Amino acid sequence: MSVPLDEVAQLVLNGLVAGTMLAVPAIGFTAIYAVLRFPNFSLASHVTIGAFAGYVANAAGGWPAWAAVVVAFVVAGAAGVVTDQVVLRPLRPAGALTTAIGAVALTIVLENVVRFGFGNDLRGYELPIRRDWQWAAVRIGPQQVENLVIAVVAMVAVFAFLAFTRTGKAMRAVADDPTLAGLKGIDAERVARLTNFGAMGLAGVGGVLLGLDTTIDPLTGFRVILSVFAAAVVGGLGSIPGAVVGALTIGVAEELSLLSLAPAYRTAVGFVAILLVLTLRPRGLLGERAY
Amino acid sequence: MLTRSAHLSRRTLLAGAAAAAAATSLPRVGGAQAAAIRLGTLNPLTGSGGSYGPSMRKAMEWVAQEVNAAGGVLGRQVQLFSEDDQTNPEPAVRAARKLIDVDKVAAIMGTWASAVTTAVAPLCWESKTFLTTVSGSDTITQLPHQGYLIRTQPNTHLQIGKLGEFLVSLKVKRVFTLAAQTPFAVPSQKRLAEILPKGGAETVGSVIYDKDKTTFRSEVDQALRAKPDMIYLNGYTPDCTILMKELFKAGYTGAKVAQGYAVNAKLLGSLPNEVTDGTYTATPSPSVESAGYKRLAKVLGTDDLDPYSCQCHDHISLVLLAIAHGKGEATGTTIKDHVRNISQGNGVKVDSAVEGLKLLAQGKAINYEGASGPCDFTESGDILDCKIKFEQAQGGKFKFVKLI
Repeated sequence: MSVPLDEVAQLVLNGLVAGTMLAVPAIGFTAIYAVLRFPNFSLASHVTIGAFAGYVANAAGGWPAWAAVVVAFVVAGAAGVVTDQVVLRPLRPAGALTTAIGAVALTIVLENVVRFGFGNDLRGYELPIRRDWQWAAVRIGPQQVENLVIAVVAMVAVFAFLAFTRTGKAMRAVADDPTLAGLKGIDAERVARLTNFGAMGLAGVGGVLLGLDTTIDPLTGFRVILSVFAAAVVGGLGSIPGAVVGALTIGVAEELSLLSLAPAYRTAVGFVAILLVLTLRPRGLLGERAY
Repeated sequence: MLTRSAHLSRRTLLAGAAAAAAATSLPRVGGAQAAAIRLGTLNPLTGSGGSYGPSMRKAMEWVAQEVNAAGGVLGRQVQLFSEDDQTNPEPAVRAARKLIDVDKVAAIMGTWASAVTTAVAPLCWESKTFLTTVSGSDTITQLPHQGYLIRTQPNTHLQIGKLGEFLVSLKVKRVFTLAAQTPFAVPSQKRLAEILPKGGAETVGSVIYDKDKTTFRSEVDQALRAKPDMIYLNGYTPDCTILMKELFKAGYTGAKVAQGYAVNAKLLGSLPNEVTDGTYTATPSPSVESAGYKRLAKVLGTDDLDPYSCQCHDHISLVLLAIAHGKGEATGTTIKDHVRNISQGNGVKVDSAVEGLKLLAQGKAINYEGASGPCDFTESGDILDCKIKFEQAQGGKFKFVKLI
């Protein structure tokens, strides 16, 4: 069976756009893993919290998309710090598995808090829905391009922060070797709080990006967490460039799978990717160094 | 949800027990001389069907009261035993066991979710208890129920048949289906492919998608490549919302049709009118012009009855009329053997149990047509016909198009 080239081009483009949006929360997920050494599944509800915070700013406050993104970052980040201090931090001495299970419970609670406040109804951002641009047989939406820009800006900011600021360097030091970082006088607790703020903030931004292109409800974050987790594992848990590479890989692979698979099986691509990577290259594509 | 609901607080338990006691004691008012006819109601009072269950039960209680006030069935009063199925098979089975073993009911009426009905049905046919349901899944009437089951909700075959007729009447030629992965996705597609060619239209393809995805761009691309002039969105509200947005963005200008439970007022509220305008919806409709419907609407205090309350009104009416027609013991077997004698045929058309009981007492043949529709059943327990209401979204509201 020959596959038309324009179809492949469209699928790759769709995959890259989906992957870029996935990359933002995936960076958050992997950053928490790098510093705190446990998979924080409560990221799912922080995606949702960010999506709703952005929604309130946009729909009720009439703020534009970029401002909604900033609000989402701050609200989800603050929520991340509070929930970590109250719920997850006391669990950490009991080990990564206990904390991860606690995080799953936490995400269910937070999701229901959102449901309690906003109900189960679907909500859409107050943005005009614009027709896509068409080039030859390939199309892309103006909203997708905006999302792409927001996602890339967020990622560049993260990399610049880690590479050039003192706090960013401290974070990488803790991720590399917490004991050594402690000896050097770096306050690991402070770094943990900061990581939580930044990572959950990114999750919130991811929530807004998803919401801008589709709709939001209390399950928004829950639906993407598997793909986010797959992206982080494929790229190498704990590696921030790895999260980006992993997200793009998962995004494109999920779309390209449609050439030979029915769309109902698309979710399986994430599982298969996790399975393959853990079997063939357990440390992920880029290994687990934070940066 | 199952485990969470298992932890009842003492207070809710007490309140529930008090309510149950009050509910079951209600029909006893008036006193029973001869042994009462014992019937069970099993409705989703809580859980995802919780918005329908209470009114379904009310409809049945009202019929029982009316019949009792008019002298009962064959001189016997009707006694209802009501249980909550929690929209969940496990509590439903426990409740059904209680109705069958303890209350010794002749019929269980009004199960809603297909999963609940599928779980309860074997208990019923094994104990020769008659079961009436509003569940729609095709598989239910295919169970080996030996005649102890009827349903008033149209199955997929019937619903999609009517949808096909409607699409043909719109003179569309090329229909593409975007369906969520559900038990009814494939049967719907098959039925549509059967029915459309009869009217000069055809199915030009279908995609079954994973409804939990956040984007369906590639699915939409696949649909548009088939160049359809009608897209059937056979999913639920969240995925249909995204699909409609993406169809608009992709520049699709053809027509769209969806089920009424998916494209509903909430969906219209969450999307701009330019995205939803022109979309057709299909909803199984009660018989809104019938006297039975109007009477029930008055009793339940609404102009817009849900189909399930109408169907439950008909369930208990059919059961009581079948018992009266049987003239013997009030058992599930009597109901099974006689229900089609009063629900269809050439008898006098009646729309209430009280009226039907009078005519039966006079030795006349009757044909019950209720609030939900004609109530004529096939051998396997499916209804032969049901009206489907087609509407169209315009300016954020639904406008009536036609009833088929």
